[in-house]
Amino acid sequence: MIEPIVGRYVTIEVQGVTQRIYFEEAGQGRPILCLHTAGADTRQWRHLMNDSEVTKANRLIAFDMPWHSKSLPPEGFQTQEYLLTTETYIETVLGMVTALGLDRPVLAGCSMGGRIALQLAALHPDKFNGFIAIEASDFQPAWYDIDWFDRPDAHGGEMGAALVSANISPFAPEAERWNTLWMFMQSGPGVFRGDLSFYTRDDSLIARLGQIDTAKTPVHLIVGAYDLTCTPEDAKRTADAIPGATLSVMAEVGHFPMSEHPDGFRPFFIEALGKMPEPAA
Amino acid sequence: MRSTLQTMQARLNASDHLKHLGRLFSETVLIEVDGDEFYLTFEKGAMVSLDAGPSRKTPSRFALRTDADALQKFWQSRPAPGFHDIFGLVKIGRGRIDGDMLLLVKNMRFFKEFMALGRVKAGADQ
Repeated sequence: MIEPIVGRYVTIEVQGVTQRIYFEEAGQGRPILCLHTAGADTRQWRHLMNDSEVTKANRLIAFDMPWHSKSLPPEGFQTQEYLLTTETYIETVLGMVTALGLDRPVLAGCSMGGRIALQLAALHPDKFNGFIAIEASDFQPAWYDIDWFDRPDAHGGEMGAALVSANISPFAPEAERWNTLWMFMQSGPGVFRGDLSFYTRDDSLIARLGQIDTAKTPVHLIVGAYDLTCTPEDAKRTADAIPGATLSVMAEVGHFPMSEHPDGFRPFFIEALGKMPEPAA
Repeated sequence: MRSTLQTMQARLNASDHLKHLGRLFSETVLIEVDGDEFYLTFEKGAMVSLDAGPSRKTPSRFALRTDADALQKFWQSRPAPGFHDIFGLVKIGRGRIDGDMLLLVKNMRFFKEFMALGRVKAGADQ
């Protein structure tokens, strides 16, 4: 069977750096730009992109962040330390919206993708039609040392996978649990650490949550009960700080819903899509 | 508790996959349950001894300290949130991990899969 997902590359400038970015898409209609978690890639979205009920009226687009999976790191990476920042992440997402000619897409992001979706809801709402923030919270300080995941004497990918396995639900199908972990195992040296730097050290979203105007762009949060990183309490605290935001809690899902437990996540994603406005005619 | 740990030892030593994961792991680990100490010694991924404490003479590289009720819930096939992972036990205040954390992290997949060997098979606890 040939799947409907089609992948291509686009080159954009992000903060003066040329980035060749891999993106893939499936479906037609309302554009939904999908962001992967830290340390992973677009493959997290493949189940929804292969779901004809979802794609019959929605064009799902996902891209690998620079340094991730099929998006090579920039020229000269071999002497650079990868540290993602809010500013770089925002410019990357906005650059992709422009480069792909997307007219006010819905932005759906998970974990660090959810975090940046909320930043964009606060800072650039005019570029989007609505926001689906999955396993997203205002701020999560690390209980671990992010340097553990970039060491010459150990395999950062294997350690990262073992760490994030704590966030996967025991209801997740075994095959999808391991497919999810494989992405972390494949992550390049220092990439998960660089993502976690953004996720665990930048608390600038906290002060911006009140700026989000859900009357203009709706915000819906979704969180899994088995997520130890962004717990339902974390998501509720975040939703409560955004006037008009809504929240759904998934009883049998963890931190990587669309990837670890596609069937468990599907109704919640469809519910979220239903809360997003249709694009203007 | 001792019998469960012995079952885990047998399951580990019968698993080529797990012994491969732990092939660089030759250490002693302390599992403390309601104050009772169990020293688990591993040699190249196999568990070679299980010694009850208390002992002030047995060095361990790291320790997992928890309670029997939490472990019983951890070992269900589909544990409740928080009880589904050793770091979940820590997060919900039902466990503590101390010692050489980096050593644990380097061998985290091996140790977590070892700890899961006490888990009943899916459906058996439904």
